[in-house]
Amino acid sequence: MENTIKVERAILNLTQDDLAKKIGVSRQTINSIEANRYVPSTVLALKLSQLFNKPVNDFFKLSDDD
Amino acid sequence: MNKQKIMNCERNRLEKLTNFRLPQYFYKIGIAIGVITIIMMFVRAFAMEGDTEWLKHLLQKTLLIGMLLMSISRDKEEDELTIKLRMQSYAWAFITGVIYALVMPYVEFGVSNAVHNGGEVYKDLGDFQILIFMLMVQLMCYHTLKRYR
Repeated sequence: MENTIKVERAILNLTQDDLAKKIGVSRQTINSIEANRYVPSTVLALKLSQLFNKPVNDFFKLSDDD
Repeated sequence: MNKQKIMNCERNRLEKLTNFRLPQYFYKIGIAIGVITIIMMFVRAFAMEGDTEWLKHLLQKTLLIGMLLMSISRDKEEDELTIKLRMQSYAWAFITGVIYALVMPYVEFGVSNAVHNGGEVYKDLGDFQILIFMLMVQLMCYHTLKRYR
């Protein structure tokens, strides 16, 4: 799974900490998601979708090995 | 109440039990209990005389309680990633605990007999030894996984 959360975050001018606070997780969790070390739950993905005002598919993409 | 409702009720109860965590301050209480117990263990071993076997058992149980409190208390920033890491650490603790219980008696027996001829006889591990090992592995794994998340 690949994602462009870092880009979406930059568009909204949010730091990892800001984003973490907005969706109720820790900064390290955002860091892990951005680094593709952790795939978030559907709930978290939908929270991000709501915040970025974009469908989940726009910033989460399946990679070849998925 | 029909069968479906009973099943849902049991599922919810089980889920609630699985997600149960003590408040975060219990972690500090657990550390305090653990430290005090270890100090008391040294005092009992080196400064107390007479039959203190009962105290040894009591301290062992207190240490287990302290570490259990540390294990099941909530994290400062509890979220779905830390929950996943906690579950992974419990899996690690369980698997290594079983391997430890199977292998360690033979290691103790082998080392004891290799060091001095006609050493200890073969004996299984006690519950305290296995439980303390599992709790230690769980806590170490959890904090290591958290550090590298």
